[in-house]
This record gives sequence, C-alpha cells and structure tokens, in this order.
Amino acid sequence: MVKKRKHSETKAVEPTNKDDDNSVQERPKRTLLGWKDKTEVKETESSPAVFRNKEKVLVTCSRRINYRYRHLMLNVVSLLPHCKKDNKVESKSSKGATLNELVELKSCSSCLFFECRKHKDLYLWMAKCPSGPSVKFIVNAVHTMEELKLTGNHLRGSRPLLSFSSNFDNDAHWKLVKEMITQIFGIPKEHRKSKPYHDHVFNFSIVDGHIWFRNYQITVPHNESDKVARGGLDKMTLIEVGPRFCLNPIKIFGGSFGGPTLYENPLYVSPNQIRALEKRQKAGKYAKKVKAKKRRKMHELSNPLEPNEFADMWKE
Amino acid sequence: MGQPTKESILYDEEGSEDDEMGDMNVELSESESESDSDEEGDVKLLEPSKKAIYNREGLDEKRQDIIWPENVGWIHRLSIDITQEQEVDVNDDLKREASFYTQALEGTRQAFEKLQSMGLPFLRPPDYYAEMVKTDAHMEKVKRRLLTEQKEMEEADERRKAREAKKLSKEIQAQKTKERAKQKKDEIESVKKWRKQRQQSGFAGDVNDGELELPFEDSKAFERSSKRRPGVAPGDRSGGKARQFSGKGKKGMDKKRKGTEFKNSKFGFGGRKGMRKQNTADTTDDVRAFNKGGMAGNNKRKR
Repeated sequence: MVKKRKHSETKAVEPTNKDDDNSVQERPKRTLLGWKDKTEVKETESSPAVFRNKEKVLVTCSRRINYRYRHLMLNVVSLLPHCKKDNKVESKSSKGATLNELVELKSCSSCLFFECRKHKDLYLWMAKCPSGPSVKFIVNAVHTMEELKLTGNHLRGSRPLLSFSSNFDNDAHWKLVKEMITQIFGIPKEHRKSKPYHDHVFNFSIVDGHIWFRNYQITVPHNESDKVARGGLDKMTLIEVGPRFCLNPIKIFGGSFGGPTLYENPLYVSPNQIRALEKRQKAGKYAKKVKAKKRRKMHELSNPLEPNEFADMWKE
Repeated sequence: MGQPTKESILYDEEGSEDDEMGDMNVELSESESESDSDEEGDVKLLEPSKKAIYNREGLDEKRQDIIWPENVGWIHRLSIDITQEQEVDVNDDLKREASFYTQALEGTRQAFEKLQSMGLPFLRPPDYYAEMVKTDAHMEKVKRRLLTEQKEMEEADERRKAREAKKLSKEIQAQKTKERAKQKKDEIESVKKWRKQRQQSGFAGDVNDGELELPFEDSKAFERSSKRRPGVAPGDRSGGKARQFSGKGKKGMDKKRKGTEFKNSKFGFGGRKGMRKQNTADTTDDVRAFNKGGMAGNNKRKR
C-alpha cells in the first residue's frame, strides 16, 4: 500500500516538472505572441526526436572480492537506481568477452566492473558498452557508506547534481572521462525509480592526477525548506553521505573491455611493483647493516684513538 | 697455511657482495624517495614514462561518438564545472576535504539557481517521505555515535575541570597552613616580647596585671578550644585522647604513660564526668557495638 501511494505521489509531481519544461511555459506565450519562445524551448521543440536518456548501467564485480570493496560496490548500486547488479564474474583474461555478453544480455548501455586482485587491489572498469570506450582505474582510499563518521543521508534514487572541477576540461582524456562519468553517474531524467528532487551532489575533482569522488547531502535549516527558493542559498550546507573513493586512470581503451589503447597513464606504477620494491627495501635492511658495520670497522682501523694522557690519573 | 687462504677467499666474497649491495642501495634510495612522495600507497613515477600512449585524436573521436547531442537540456545532464582557485596539497586531508566541500557547495548553488530559474522543485518538501539511501537503523547508529562522542567530550571536560579545581584547592590549603603557622609564630613572639618587657620593667606591672595589654588574650588564641571536636564528649577535657595532659607530664612519667594515657582518655582524669557519658550524634551513629545476631534471635522468637 505504502509503495503504491509513493508511486502515485512521484507521478503526481513529475508531470508538473515536465510541464514546466515544455508546455506550461509555452502556452501563455503561444496565445499571446504566437511562436516567439525562448531559444531553448524552441530547440527541444524543433529537434526531430526529443532526447531521452536511456542509460542503464551494469554493476558487477569479480570473484574473490574483498568485503570492503564489495560494500563499496553495493553502495554504488544503492546510489544509482538505473543500474543492474549482476553476479560475480570470474576475473580472467577472457572476462572482457563475458562482460560484453552480459551487458548485452541485460540490455545495458554501460558497465561498472569492480575487479579485485590479490584481495588487495581494486580496479574499476568503466565502459560504454556496445562500442564505446572503456577506462580502467585503480581505486584508492576507499571509504564505504557504512562508516559512522559519514552522517548524511538522502533520498534513494533522487537525481544527483554532478559537480566537476574545471581541470576536467584541460586534457582530452579527462574530457572523455568526464563525459563517461556524466552518463554513468547521472541518473536519467524521469527514470521510473528516480525521485523528482535534488538533495545530493556528486563531487568529482582532479587532484594530483586522481579523480576524487565525494557524495554530499544538501541541507538547509529546518522549517525553511519551503523558503529556500527565496533566501536559503547562504544557509545551504552539505553533509557527507559517502562513499568516498579515489580513481587513478590507468588506461583508456577504444572498445569496451578491450580494443586499441588510446591513453596510458605515464605516471602509473602498479601496486605489485610497489610491493616488490618494499620487499626489496626490507631485504636491503640487513645488507645495509652489515655494510655499515664493516665501514665502521674500517674507519676505526684507519683512525686509531689517540692515547689518553689522563687515562690512569686517578689510579694511583 | 690453510687459514690465510680461507680468509682471503672470504674477503673476496665479501667484496663482491659489497659491490652488489652498493648497486642495490642506489636503487633502494631511489625507491625510498618515491615512497616518501606519496603516503597513500600509490607510488608515482618521478618522471612520466616516454613511451606511454596518448592518442588525442582517438580520444576526441571516441568522445564525439558517445557524447549526447549538443542541444540536450542541462536538466538531463545536471553537471556543473567549478574552477578550483588553487592547487591543493593532497596529503593535507583537511585542506583537501575543504576544497572538495567548497567545490560541491559552489556547484550546488549554481545548480540551484539554474533549477530555480526553470521553476523546478529542488529540495524535497518536509512532508515527502520516501526510502532513503541509509536505513533508519543505520542512522540510529550514527546518531548514537555522535551522542556518545559528545558525552565523552563533556566527561573529559568535567574531569579536566575537577583536576584543575583540585590543584587550586591544594594551593589554597598550602597557603592556609602557611598563614596559620605564621600566626602561631607571631603569637609566640608577642608573648615573648611581653615577658621580656615585664622582666625589663622588673615585674613592675605585677600589681596592675589586669591592665596589661595582652595581645593574645582577646584575639584568636583560644578560639580553637571552643571548637567542637568530633568524637569527643562535650565535657571531656582530655579531648578524647588526653594528649595535652600527657604532653605536659614530666619525663619520669613517660614509662607508664601509655597505659595511663589510655585510661585517662577512657575514664577521664579530673573534671565532671556527667557530660562525658551523654550520647552525641557520633556515638549514636556508631553501630559497631550493636548485636549482630539479632535476626536469628528474632526468628527464634517467632517460633
């Protein structure tokens, strides 16, 4: 019962939205001045087919995924009402083909694939599916939504605002990534599971060559939410909802889960290499010690201590 | 003959190892500097590798492939670009988060203005209830944690205050004792002075003794005796312990002092006894002497 009521409510509100867009604003103008409209409205009118965002995202992960990363994936699922979650996929070399098939089967247009390796490293594949490009990120600094220090909360399925830092427009690969993010993380307008209000904002910003993701709830002080239309702008505050993560692009491919490499991160070092280096560092510790000891010995030999003239002064 | 050769071999080996280690050390120092540059586990190459692929045309082409048509309204996209004023230090968590926050807030404001100009609803009305991302149970947990945090903070505050108060009171106490000691000294001094004066004047003032000014007489010299001491009966002149009495006693009496002292304190030595045998509040409250087997007796009586 409750569900039904909600549904009808959303429906009741949504048509007014649409009307605001097209008909309600037009109608008086049409009657008064004929066809003199705002340019924007005219464009939508004149375009042959009204644009309709039919994005659908397949979200899945590899087998043997870490619990933390799995929770992150589930959080992403809860944030995106236009996604479909699927079973875990074996992460092997032929996973690209499997995933493409899966995406087609689920009639999705893009895919987020969380690939966990060695129970430690999380890679995120972001792909546009039939033919589009795909990006492989490594994910760092993961905080899930369950963490208690993230105190915000928002409607499930309300459409987020996407705030990008301006350095997304600096380079070709960032531009591409930005486009993909807007398509995948933006919830289609009038999606049937979405809600008609905007009470959270996704923040993407590039710092240090990484994309940092944050999700904030938008709040205004209580009993003024109806007045927000007029003067609540300054009182607006954000509360973090989570999850947090940081994406470091590794490669961009031409096809989905494969194809020609279009971009390679020149600064990227794989975590395996880092670990190997660390290990070697540890191994070097002993060698260093031995060497230092030897050097000390040599130094002592070459610079013998001067005999101390006061050495046996107090012995008599 | 065998030993020196062995040693030389050993030395040779060490030398060769040393060379290897030297090489390794160079690498290691490099790696150390790398790991210092970033703490979050992702090490960067110091210099971008030259052979990395960067196909700008391909990227642009791909972007054109997937991009939505130009004339799509902003309402479909809901995206906003915000210029960051300055570079943020990644390793400074606070600054980084603050920059993200300001970026998001700025974006929200702009978006809000846009939505407002379109006349679209923005925030949900207060009476619009629907499923939230985080469940109520989870939010309850969050709330509880916040509350406990607050409580802990308050408690810590209180503890700190108490500690400070204690310190202060100690100081005050020390000052008080000092003052008291000083007062006592002054009094003794004044008595001595008076005595000397009397001696110098050749006990001339003996006759008019009452007229002599006795500074200790009218001041607080005897105040203490008027104070009630706990656990001492009103008429008990020995003060419960007869310490003053024994203190005044001669040295010869020291040997039997203990027993005498106790007896004196218990049974009294001189003075009126009647007052001493009355109950006071302290003796009434003292339940040590009560019969403990009372309950058993009661039971027996019932039967």
